[in-house]
Amino acid sequence: MEFDLIHNLGIGFGVALSWQNLMYCFFGVLLGTLIGVLPGIGPLATIAMLLPVTFTLPPISALIMLAGIYYGAQYGGSTTAILVNIPGESSSVITCIDGYQMARQGRAGPALAIAALGSFFAGSVATLIIALFAPPLAEVALKFGPAEYFSLMVLGLVGATVLAHGSLVKAIAMTLLGLLLGLIGTDVNSGVARFTFGLAELSDGVGFIIIAMGLFGFAEIILNLERGEGREVFVKKIMNIMPTWKDIKDSSGAVVRGTAIGSVLGILPGGGALLSSFAAYTLEKKIGDTSNFGKGEIRGVAAPESANNAGAQTSFIPMLTLGIPSNVVMALMIGAMMIQGIAPGPQVMTEKPDLFWGLIVSMWIGNLMLGILNLPLIGIWVKLLTVPYRLLYPSILLFCCVGVYSLSNQPFDVMLAALFGILGYVFIKLECEPAPLILGFILGPLMEENLRRAMLLSRGDATVFFTKPISGVLLGMAIVLLLVTLAPAVRKTREVAFQE
Amino acid sequence: MQIRNGRDFWAGLMFTGFGLGFMLVSLNYPMGSAARMGPAYFPAVLGGLLALLGGGIVLRGYISKFEHPLKVFAFRLPLLIAALVVGGATYFASASLKGAPMVGFALTGLALTLFIGAFGPRSMFLVLVAVMVFGYALKPLGLVLATVLLIVISAFGGHDFRKKEVAILTIALVLFGVLVFVKALGLPFNLWPGG
Repeated sequence: MEFDLIHNLGIGFGVALSWQNLMYCFFGVLLGTLIGVLPGIGPLATIAMLLPVTFTLPPISALIMLAGIYYGAQYGGSTTAILVNIPGESSSVITCIDGYQMARQGRAGPALAIAALGSFFAGSVATLIIALFAPPLAEVALKFGPAEYFSLMVLGLVGATVLAHGSLVKAIAMTLLGLLLGLIGTDVNSGVARFTFGLAELSDGVGFIIIAMGLFGFAEIILNLERGEGREVFVKKIMNIMPTWKDIKDSSGAVVRGTAIGSVLGILPGGGALLSSFAAYTLEKKIGDTSNFGKGEIRGVAAPESANNAGAQTSFIPMLTLGIPSNVVMALMIGAMMIQGIAPGPQVMTEKPDLFWGLIVSMWIGNLMLGILNLPLIGIWVKLLTVPYRLLYPSILLFCCVGVYSLSNQPFDVMLAALFGILGYVFIKLECEPAPLILGFILGPLMEENLRRAMLLSRGDATVFFTKPISGVLLGMAIVLLLVTLAPAVRKTREVAFQE
Repeated sequence: MQIRNGRDFWAGLMFTGFGLGFMLVSLNYPMGSAARMGPAYFPAVLGGLLALLGGGIVLRGYISKFEHPLKVFAFRLPLLIAALVVGGATYFASASLKGAPMVGFALTGLALTLFIGAFGPRSMFLVLVAVMVFGYALKPLGLVLATVLLIVISAFGGHDFRKKEVAILTIALVLFGVLVFVKALGLPFNLWPGG
C-alpha cells in the first residue's frame, strides 16, 4: 500500500514536473491569484472563460491549469479581504472580520503571511489526503451499478440543496429545473430531439459553458453595475511581512483545526471552500481565549484561510473518484474533462493514472508556487486593486463573449448566453441560488441514463433502489439529510448561519 | 388574501411555468413504461414535480414570515408582449423567410432586444445588448469593429462614462484581442469586414 502510494506519486511527479505542465500550473495559480484578488470576478467565470482555450491543450495540462485557478483564487481572496475589507472571493468573507482589523493596526504583513503559510500547510495536507483516500474510494465506486449511481447522484443533489443559501424548497426547485435543462437536446436512447423547438443549434443540448457564463458571468456584472461602484481602496504601505514567533505559535493550532475542518467539509456534496471557512471560524470562536475576536485576532485569519484552501482541494475527491461534482467549480472541471473526451468516474484512476496522479502532484507544486509567489507579489496585487470596476467589466465581457462564441463560431450561443444572463439576474432577485441548478444540469443526463438502466435491469421494479444495500444506504442518507434539515431546530440555526 | 413575500410569489410562478412547460412539451414524445422509459418519462415526472413545488412556493408567498414587496425588479409588460409577438412571428414564418435571411436575422435581433429590455435595470439592457451585438457582428464586421461595439455599448451601462478612458480601454482591448485571441491562440476570427 505504502509502496503503491510512493510509486503513484512518482508517476505524478513525472507528469507534473514536465516543463510544459509546470508552466500551465504556474499560469493557472498566477491567474487564480489575480482573479482572487479582484472582487467581482471569481474562479467560476474565469474557468468558464478559459474552457474553450483548453480544447487545444493536452487533457492533463488543461486540468492542471484549471485546478490551479480554483485553489489559487483562495489564496488571492485573502489578500483583498485583509487589505480592503472586501472579500476578493466569497470564501474569504469571514477573513475580512479579523484580517482587516489586523491591517488597521498596522499588522497587514503578518496577517497576509499567516494566511499564506496556513493555506500552504492546508494545501499540502489536503493533497496527501486526496492521494491516500481517493484510490480506495474509486475501488468501491468501480463496483457501483446503475442503481447505486442513481442513488449517489440523488444524495449529491440533496447535499447541494441542503447546503445552498436561503430557502430549501427553492433550492430543490432549482435542482429540478437544472435537471430538466440538462435534458434539452437529442435523447441518446431513442434519438428523439427533446425541447429543441426544431432549432438545429440545440440538438446537442445547451452548452454547459453557455449556462455558466450567463448565470454567473453576465448576471454578476449586471448586479455589480446595479449596486454601483462602492469600492474604496485605501492601502497603507506594508512595513514588515514576517510574523513574529508569537504569531506563529498563536495561529498554529488554528491552522491545524482549520485544515481538518476544511478537508472534511470539502468532500461533502455542496461543500467546498466557502462552507469550510465559515465552519472553521465558528469553531475557533468557541475555543480558548476569545476576547480578541473581531478586534484583529490572528487565529480568525489563520483558521478560515487554511480551511478554505483545504476544502477547495478535497472537493476534488468526489469529482475524481466518482465523477460527481460536489460544487459548481467541480462541475466545470467535469465539463472540461468531457470536452477532452474523458468520461469522469472511477475508471479514470486505473485507465489514466498519469492524468490522475499528475493532477494531484501538480496541486502540491502549485501550492508551493503560491506560497513562494504570493508574498513578494503583494505589492503588485495591491496596485491592481486600484483598477476601477468600470474598466474591469468591459474586459471581462470581452473574454466571456469570445469564450462563448468560440464554442461553435455561431452567434446563436452568444444569444443564448445573454438570455441566461437575464435568467441569472431574475434568479438572484428572487433569492434562488443558481449553484444547485448547475449541478442538476450536469447530472441530468447521467441520472436519466442510470435510472433507465436500473429500471430496465429490475424490469420496472422501483424498489430496487432501496433493496440493493449500497443504493439503499445512499438513498437513506439523502432522506435523513433532508428530514434533518427540515426539522425546526436545525432550520432555525441554518437560517441564522446563512444570515451572518 | 395578501401576498406577503413577492419574491416567493414570483419564484413560485416561474417554477410552475417552467415545470408545466417542460411537462407539456415532453408529452409530444413517447412515454414508454417504467421498465423501458421513453424520452418523455423522466422529464414529464420532473416537470410535474417542479410545477407542484412551484405551486407550494406561490402559496408560501402568502404566509411567509419574511415580507418583501411584490415589485422585485423592473418589469415592462408591453415590451415583453412585443418581444413575444415579433419572436413568435419570426419563428413561425422562418420557412417563408428562407429566401431573405437578413430579414429573419433582423427580426430575431429585434425580438431579443425587446425581450432583454422587458426586464431589469438599464445596465442590464446595455450589457446584454452589447453582448448580442458582438455575437452578431463578429463574423460580418470582424473582431476589431465587434470589440469596439462591445466595449463602447457596455461602457454606457456603467455609472459614469468617461470618453477618454473608454477610448484608451477600447484600443487596449482591441490590441489585446487581436494579439492573444487571433495571433497567439489561433481562434478563427477575421479581423476586418469581409476578410
